[in-house]
Amino acid sequence: MLARATTWLTILRISIEERLVYRGDFALGTLMRFLPIVTQIFLWGAVFEAIRASGSGADSVAGYSYHDFIAYYLLTMIGRAFSSMPGLASGIARDIRSGTVKKYLIQPIDMLGFLLLYRTAHKLVYYLVAAIPFALVFWLCQRFFPGWPDAITVAAFLASLVMSFLLGFFLEATIGMIGFWFLEISSLMFVYMLFSFFFSGHMFPLDMLPGVWGPLVRVLPFQYLAYFPAAVFLQKITGPELAWGLAVELGWVVLFILAARATFRLGVRQYSGFGG
Amino acid sequence: MAVIEIQGLCKSYRVYQKREGLLASIAGLFRRRYRTIEAVRGIDLAVERGEFVAFLGPNGAGKTTTLKLLSGVINPSGGTARVLGHIPWKRENTYRRRFALVMGQKNQLWWDLPAAESFRLHQQIYRIEPEQFERTRDDLTGMLSVGHLLSQPVRELSLGERMKMELIAALLHSPEVLFLDEPTIGLDVVAQYNVQAFLRHYQEARRITILLTSHYMKDVAALCRRVVIISLGRIIYDGSLSGIIDRFGGQKVISLQMSNGQASAADLARYGEILQADPPRVKLRVERSIVPQVLSNILAAHTVEDVSVEDPPLEQVIAEVFSWKGEGGGRMMNDK
Amino acid sequence: MSDHPSYLRVFQTFARNSLVRDMTFRANFIIDTVASICWVGINLSFYLLIFQYTGMIGAGTGWGKWEFFLFLSTGLLINSTVQALFMTNADEFSELIRTGGLDFALLKPIDTQFLVSLQRIDWSSAGNFVFGLVLLVFSLFQLGYAPGPVEVVLYLLYLVCGVTILYALMIAMAASSVWLGRNQNLFDFWFYITNFARYPMEIYQGRFGTPLRWFFTFIIPVLVVVNVPARFLVQPLQPQTLADWLLPAFALAAAVLSLLASRWVFNRALVSYRSASS
Repeated sequence: MLARATTWLTILRISIEERLVYRGDFALGTLMRFLPIVTQIFLWGAVFEAIRASGSGADSVAGYSYHDFIAYYLLTMIGRAFSSMPGLASGIARDIRSGTVKKYLIQPIDMLGFLLLYRTAHKLVYYLVAAIPFALVFWLCQRFFPGWPDAITVAAFLASLVMSFLLGFFLEATIGMIGFWFLEISSLMFVYMLFSFFFSGHMFPLDMLPGVWGPLVRVLPFQYLAYFPAAVFLQKITGPELAWGLAVELGWVVLFILAARATFRLGVRQYSGFGG
Repeated sequence: MAVIEIQGLCKSYRVYQKREGLLASIAGLFRRRYRTIEAVRGIDLAVERGEFVAFLGPNGAGKTTTLKLLSGVINPSGGTARVLGHIPWKRENTYRRRFALVMGQKNQLWWDLPAAESFRLHQQIYRIEPEQFERTRDDLTGMLSVGHLLSQPVRELSLGERMKMELIAALLHSPEVLFLDEPTIGLDVVAQYNVQAFLRHYQEARRITILLTSHYMKDVAALCRRVVIISLGRIIYDGSLSGIIDRFGGQKVISLQMSNGQASAADLARYGEILQADPPRVKLRVERSIVPQVLSNILAAHTVEDVSVEDPPLEQVIAEVFSWKGEGGGRMMNDK
Repeated sequence: MSDHPSYLRVFQTFARNSLVRDMTFRANFIIDTVASICWVGINLSFYLLIFQYTGMIGAGTGWGKWEFFLFLSTGLLINSTVQALFMTNADEFSELIRTGGLDFALLKPIDTQFLVSLQRIDWSSAGNFVFGLVLLVFSLFQLGYAPGPVEVVLYLLYLVCGVTILYALMIAMAASSVWLGRNQNLFDFWFYITNFARYPMEIYQGRFGTPLRWFFTFIIPVLVVVNVPARFLVQPLQPQTLADWLLPAFALAAAVLSLLASRWVFNRALVSYRSASS
């Protein structure tokens, strides 16, 4: 127990040092990541201008005003910061393929636990350093936000973010575990990325989806990776709907924790059978 | 007119402190810290047509830099050079068609494609007539016995086979001058031998001019009559291989076989440095100039069954030459 | 026998060799092609979704649904061409500088910039090109508009200009690794810059938009890349004011100037490389 905490602190310290060496680059890179949003803001500006000029009287798209859109995109950046797990699935698959995964089987280290700690450390460090550029951007754009929401909304927002981190982790970890059965998971990863990109609400608030698409997407877990926290903060989801959403999100998290553990155990059994 | 004429060629360059990260690099553009490395410090050389010359020298002596200067890959800091009448660093197409450079362990062929495809690209770039191209290619692949490997992706070939393909690629356009930078480095003994045999054969048949740099004495001994030793950016010897020993081998080795019961190694120690003591055989190292004196002393004092006087091994002499530091400039002696 | 090779023949050999190589790794090729097309498809769905809520992008700009798709297909044609011809090579160029492999390029009796810029062709981008073509034809059909020969010629000319400008930017950025070292941020930078050119330039308005539009038109001319050719299709040719001619004329000049500038940067990079390489 103590050993694990010491390891955790060491990983944290090394990660911080690593980041700080490149801190100038890192700050620049973080700021640059907001650049694509600039284009989107102008696009929606033009869309809303057209809507206004058309004389239909409408001033919102699917319940989102122009300012809401900008705020939404900025909030999805935060959601993404929590839920994106670059290299997790491919790293697991690579470890399996190369045999490095053996160290988890031989030594008393829990693979999922270790990876989770590692990611947590990295994300924490990310926030320590990225907080400044993020804060700068949000401060510059504060007029797009409808003021600070109430405490419940903030609490729900934070809860949904933490859960989106866990969901993102265990979802990708499960996909990585498929590497026990299939050597190349890159095609699977690609399909996952496609779905995730579209259905997580990255490109647009999911409320925009017409007809049957809306409810269809709500069934999937992807919405919790970016859309849900953002919508919560903007108070597009409130009351019983909010409670329900959080509960379902929790459900997905639990489901994927179990899925990851199960696939790991099954995979290990399958793997040892080869005696590689 | 000599094929290669070099006068006072110098190359020094600045090594800038490498900064990590993009922002630091940009900042580094404005406040640079550097040190100057003088790779080549004034080389004079003339090579006639058909010569096969070896550049010997320790690491960092300037051999590769000199070859790169003559290939036009880098610009000199001073001095002049002409190869086939061209100034190399002008990189005129007419010049580039007439020479070739091969660097050991560096690949220019397409990795995932069969060598045959890379050769075809060469044909297009060098604008070789189709029949001549096919003839040359078949000639070369025949000489190196790699015809059956032409349609295999280069990445599947062994190191030796890859080197052969690189050589073929370099010779497809029948260059008049060939620069070889450590061509046999990393190859196994058989491959080394094959490459050497090929080079010798090719050079004798075509009478092209070849400049070869190498660490391996076997390459040099097998192929070159003329050896140029470069150390710390300067030429310190230019002549035949045997001349090196005459010039630099300051000591000789006396091998003695003593009669039984005669003198121990300790007794003989006063005549010179004991290299090997394996009674009744003893090997002594003795200063060249006093060899006759020492010999007569030993023969007078002891009964000797057999004696021979030899030069020290070439590798040893050259190693000693390489380890000289900062000797006076220019060439020390010209032995032709 | 002339000094220089037949550049056309050499290019054909590049194309052929690259195709052979891509076919060797057929599975990867298919995955890459399908992947690119899917990404395009997803983006298209997004735009279709937008047009559920509005009939036009920007007030009175003329970019209705099918006009917008004409714009997108033009962008597809240009971007897929740049990706196919130059992207791999620009990346490889940075690597050649770093490893010293550029030496081999300098030995060949062929223009070094030509060799470095075109030696590898990425055929998996061809899928996107075809997609763009299909979208173009379909959109024209929906608009019921068939461009005349003059428009087509001008369109093709400005496609080439667009590709040239993007190429110049790309190769200049790759060449800068001689001074700045190989850096991922620089690579990302390319995507961020060209991202601004995804939509018609009319969207850039207002206090921040207008200076942005001027910057990306006249300083780093990425906005003229897709906008100019697309307009020839969307707004049938009726030369009105001088202003109508100004932008296309500028685009032509920008293409020529960018190419010259890229050559200058490239040669400067070579000089630095050749002074430093050991």
